[in-house]
Amino acid sequence: MRLVQTSLRCYPQRWRSRHGEEAAELATLLMRDGTPARSIAWSYLKGAASTRLVLQPRRRLGAALGALLAAACSLGVSLALLSSSVPASAANHRPSHEGRHCVARGTARSSASISTRVTVKKPASNSTGSGHGQHC
Amino acid sequence: MALREEERDGAGGQDVLRRAGDASVLILTSLAGGSKHGYALIKDIKAFAGVELGPGTLYGALDRLERLDLIEALPAEDRRHPYRITPAGVTALRAHLDSIERVRVTGRLRLGLGGV
Repeated sequence: MRLVQTSLRCYPQRWRSRHGEEAAELATLLMRDGTPARSIAWSYLKGAASTRLVLQPRRRLGAALGALLAAACSLGVSLALLSSSVPASAANHRPSHEGRHCVARGTARSSASISTRVTVKKPASNSTGSGHGQHC
Repeated sequence: MALREEERDGAGGQDVLRRAGDASVLILTSLAGGSKHGYALIKDIKAFAGVELGPGTLYGALDRLERLDLIEALPAEDRRHPYRITPAGVTALRAHLDSIERVRVTGRLRLGLGGV
């Protein structure tokens, strides 16, 4: 019976003042019929959880918003971690590869804007110069 | 589309019990036979449906049905609140039973079971 009383305490005060005595009496009757106290307590626990969610929709909305915010924050943190974990040499490799190695020489020279862009993106790294002739 | 919805919900209006859960339907069906308190409801539902409602489920469904004005609590008798089905509850139960009946008929026809 103590287990049932404990589970009944999980209900909101408003609910307990209305149904509390009746619920305790119902539990007594059910136990007298042979229903295990554990299953009655479990049923009341589940009921208390759903009652709290129904009676406090503002809190439910707040919890949902909080969960969304937490999810967004964790996503942002993971993205930040991912981007920071990419090695600097890998980030520097792409522009030099596109601009210097794979664009045909004629095209690169005919377009001043492209060559300018490549020059701007060119990082101060010693990897850009190495292996230039081998790739092309 | 609106006509189909109306047809599906029956002439009595919307089937508000469609999402209310099985416990709500069982309680309304039990209360259709007369007002009862919690313990009597559990016993009656076990007798006619073979379902033993947990007390937490019972009170959750009673609160929900009361909020929907489908049942009402009568003055307490010896700490027990008897509940009574309201006219809106009767209408809702009828609409829900009509909806179930259409599903039952269709299912039996499609399975070739007859008895429609």
